[in-house]
Amino acid sequence: MALDFSIILRFQDALLLGLWMTLKLTLICVILGCTLGFLVGLARTSRSVMLRAISSIYVEFFRGTPVLIQLFWIFFCLPLILGIELSNLASGVIALTLYMGAITSETFRASLKSVGPEQLDACIALGLPRRIQVINVILPQAVLRAIPTLLSNCVSLFKESALVSAVGMADLMFVGQNISNNTARPVEVLTIVALIYFVIAFPLTRAVSLIERRILAKLAI
Amino acid sequence: MNYSFDFQSISFAPLWEGLMVTLELTAAANIIGIVGGFLLALLIMSPIAVIRLPAMLFVEFFRCTPAIVQIVWFFYCVPMLFNVFLGSMTMGILALGFNLMAFNAEAYRASIQAVPREQIDAGIALGLNPFQRILYIVLPTAFRASIPVLLTNGIGIFQQSALVAIVAVQDLMYQGKTLATETYRPIETFTVVALIYFAVSFPVTQVVGYLERRRQLLMN
Repeated sequence: MALDFSIILRFQDALLLGLWMTLKLTLICVILGCTLGFLVGLARTSRSVMLRAISSIYVEFFRGTPVLIQLFWIFFCLPLILGIELSNLASGVIALTLYMGAITSETFRASLKSVGPEQLDACIALGLPRRIQVINVILPQAVLRAIPTLLSNCVSLFKESALVSAVGMADLMFVGQNISNNTARPVEVLTIVALIYFVIAFPLTRAVSLIERRILAKLAI
Repeated sequence: MNYSFDFQSISFAPLWEGLMVTLELTAAANIIGIVGGFLLALLIMSPIAVIRLPAMLFVEFFRCTPAIVQIVWFFYCVPMLFNVFLGSMTMGILALGFNLMAFNAEAYRASIQAVPREQIDAGIALGLNPFQRILYIVLPTAFRASIPVLLTNGIGIFQQSALVAIVAVQDLMYQGKTLATETYRPIETFTVVALIYFAVSFPVTQVVGYLERRRQLLMN
């Protein structure tokens, strides 16, 4: 069969709009999700049994079920339960934020745990108050260690955001599928869509490994 | 909230059938992923650029594009490009299997690199040929070290397999969607489907956690 990639140029604007939607969704959910994840990460290491139990159930549930079913649940069930209309964008943001919160909370928890007990011992030996211990000693090290994993969580979120196309949000994947159905040229259109995702995600994954090496080198001093 | 729940209206027979399809997809994709992933890891680490580069491109492409794009691409484009028509189940298994292969290859690579150099030197000293060195020295050590990540990736594919519902493979997700539209009971149906997925993947993640803790204890 003859491939004709010039067809893409005709739909440039639509694809760009879809890409913009994907990026907007990713960005909003990265910011909200990291904040949520940080709070949940703290809750999971807290002394209160209640907080620990609730946050663990939340994290395990969102990590243990497919993102697609989470999305469907929030799109179809949340409006029924709350009794209010939710816009497409709002439901997408809620679903992906909850997903991002669950995976980043694990990242924060692991990095909080990775700050060794000798650091705390040193704080106690120096007679530092609890507040200073957390803010000036534990947190900076924990956040620094979390950065590479957080970045790869962002890449995962960017990829998972393509799922919103399944519930009719006009993101890059949705636009791509529509164009491919209307023009009957799936090979060209879907390949270009895949390439667009690749071109954005690939440099990010490279950046992750670069930053990881730098931070490891810095922490080794 | 004034919604009356009615879990009675959900029939479990189609969900059970769907779960079997999901498990079949997961198992077959894992076989491809575990075996193919190791071979792919060897290719990535090959000193010959002509072998290494295509393998790396394959891995990076699957790791850097959304799984849903890969699955839709596979279903629409492979029949057109290569003029082959496979059953939807086979297509689903291949798409998920290739995706898993790429992720597992990275896991294997990390643990192959962690096999101590001395062990391979010892293999050379004992007069083993390169093939025997891989089979008897590298593979057992690397495989054991990668088990936690392989399990995590494997359960990841179990969850990703829900995506084949979009291309109308009748898995658990697809049956759930159909049931939700037939009964007008989306809350009950999707909750039950989510719980089924959770009930399968949660024990596996607990096992992974246990294996990792044990490994850390052994290393200390």
